[in-house]
Amino acid sequence: MIEFLLTLAILAGINVLLACGFNLILGYGGLVSVAQPVFYAIGAYSSALLSMKLGLPVPLAMVLGALIAAIASFGLSLPSLRVSGDYLVIASMGFQLGIIHIINNVEFTGAASGLSGIVSAIESPWRSQIYAGTIIAICAVTILAIRWLVTGPYGRAITAMRNDEEVFASLGRDAVHIKVTLFAVGSGIAGLAGGLYAHYFLFLTPDQYGIFSSATLLTMVVVGGAATVRGPVLGAIFLTVLPEAIRFLNLPIAVMAPLQGVIFTGLVILFLFVKPEGLFGSKSGGGLDAWQSRAMSSSMRKGAK
Amino acid sequence: MTKRSASGLSRRGILAAPLVLGMPSVIGRAFAQTEPLRFGVADPLTGPSAIFGLDQMQAVRWAVEDINSAGGVHGRKLEAIIVDHQAKPDVGIAVVTRLLQVDKVPTFITAFSNVVKAVAPIANREKALMLSVGANSPDIKNLGDYVYTTFPLADVDMRALGSWLYKSQNKRRAAVLYVNHETGTEGAKVFSAAFKEAGGEVVLNESYEEQRSDFTGLVLKVRAANPDIVHIHSVISDFTAIVAQMRQLGLNTQVTSFQTAFNPKMIQELGKASEGIIVTAMAPSAEDNANVPKYLERWQAAYKREPIGLPYTQYFHDAPYILAALFKHVLDQKQAVTGENLRKALLAIKTFDLPLTNRITFNDDHTVNAPTYFWQVKDGKFQVVGKL
Repeated sequence: MIEFLLTLAILAGINVLLACGFNLILGYGGLVSVAQPVFYAIGAYSSALLSMKLGLPVPLAMVLGALIAAIASFGLSLPSLRVSGDYLVIASMGFQLGIIHIINNVEFTGAASGLSGIVSAIESPWRSQIYAGTIIAICAVTILAIRWLVTGPYGRAITAMRNDEEVFASLGRDAVHIKVTLFAVGSGIAGLAGGLYAHYFLFLTPDQYGIFSSATLLTMVVVGGAATVRGPVLGAIFLTVLPEAIRFLNLPIAVMAPLQGVIFTGLVILFLFVKPEGLFGSKSGGGLDAWQSRAMSSSMRKGAK
Repeated sequence: MTKRSASGLSRRGILAAPLVLGMPSVIGRAFAQTEPLRFGVADPLTGPSAIFGLDQMQAVRWAVEDINSAGGVHGRKLEAIIVDHQAKPDVGIAVVTRLLQVDKVPTFITAFSNVVKAVAPIANREKALMLSVGANSPDIKNLGDYVYTTFPLADVDMRALGSWLYKSQNKRRAAVLYVNHETGTEGAKVFSAAFKEAGGEVVLNESYEEQRSDFTGLVLKVRAANPDIVHIHSVISDFTAIVAQMRQLGLNTQVTSFQTAFNPKMIQELGKASEGIIVTAMAPSAEDNANVPKYLERWQAAYKREPIGLPYTQYFHDAPYILAALFKHVLDQKQAVTGENLRKALLAIKTFDLPLTNRITFNDDHTVNAPTYFWQVKDGKFQVVGKL
């Protein structure tokens, strides 16, 4: 049982990293991109291949995987700087499908057959304990770093940019720089999560990084509370544990199948209507209110014109 | 009054102490001798692949029932703990982790190549014997010490089909269409190589992405290539859609596929368009196995139909018999029922005589060999037309 709980903790930790990275882009930056899983994939495949093909030590491969994911984010952020809202969603979806298609068709990534034979990060009877401890430490450092980033002067600049980009630019501030940085940091964190996943579970397949994965991440951030530090953390833990808890109920298939099908979409719809600030966002800050204030300022400006 | 020792314990108490202290181990041993021999089964019970998984699980349940009603293994009953992996690798990792770490099963059976590959590292790490019972990726033989397949891999039936089509059916030009996922790419690769090796020419080799519904472009390419046969290596819903669109566009070329298309629902959906389709099967037909007709009667009696993917269900039905033999060997040797000992038992026994799949022998490379049967749809039913 302890081994099972440790594996669950590792998965929850990886999801916490993913949700925190996504929250930087989506929640704080207000940049509605769905491509986060693809940076997770880039980090996972890069780290796995660097250790398998070049024999790099696993920790170094993970760091390089995160860097490659951060650099790859320029491929989405730079061409998409001129678009936002719905157009950014479409651009990010195209980027995601394109990269997945490449991974699915390139021989050295294992193509559609998946990548197996990945080097394990730790060979020890205490493998799961060490890994869980390491991931919890990485999560703690990441959460503190994000907290430092968003509560300081740079965080205020991010919020100002999100709430009204035109006014922000009129003050002589560089919105482009902030957007590109948010994408790079958020994607780098996703890449690190990918490396951590690859060297523990030891198998990767392109199917894991599709639109369903985007929906799951979006649910974690929305349910927890977008644009808050602790919201995505607790949203990720909650939504990692919930499906496992449901499985333990051993419900009949006729109940289980529809329940699993609607759990994520149902939660998003429920929270959008009932608690848009998420479980841990407050009425005065965070959650979807953050986006609403941006939309309001934009419409007010249009009205003034 | 009872005399007490210096330490305050009575003499009777001291005499009884070893008995009392020994009780848990005696009770434990007695309980261990009657508790069921548990094994895991991970298969899709929900999602698009559940159409196969549900019938495969019925086959497992019947086998366990039959083994138990015949006395079980040294009087101990078999118990299958069935979990749903939805044919998704990430779900597979979660449910197999639960099987091994919470339910503590020493062995489990599973299928679907993508899931088999994803969970193999867990089986190796936990030293749990894993039997792949319906996945056919050739890579499966390289997945580690604890991963064995009871099911012949694609390099057996697709090699046989390529050669048989050229030599026995005089086919010379093949078009190969396959879904771009694990099973499709591997199967198509082996088929193309075998057909070319036999002397044939692959005039078209086209993949398509999953969840596509319109195949008009592919069908037009097939027509332009003018092949003798079209080999389709895909999931069943795509297979049906491609054949339907081929026939609608007037392309009546001979179609072949693998065991996934061995499906009465496919015949039902395609109707006359299914006539002539040839599929492979790695499990024996009624002509080669006297139990198969009775097995089919059981399906008719219970569900008034044949099972979906008959050959797969034959292998699933027989997997508990392999495990029963392994459990028996371990208990006979008075060893603990662990994955490690079950693996040793498998290596020691190697050859198993099974009710629906005849005799199988595990090779040193963790695979098994079996003859390939070729079935053709004739008058709305599958009929055996060849064996290699």
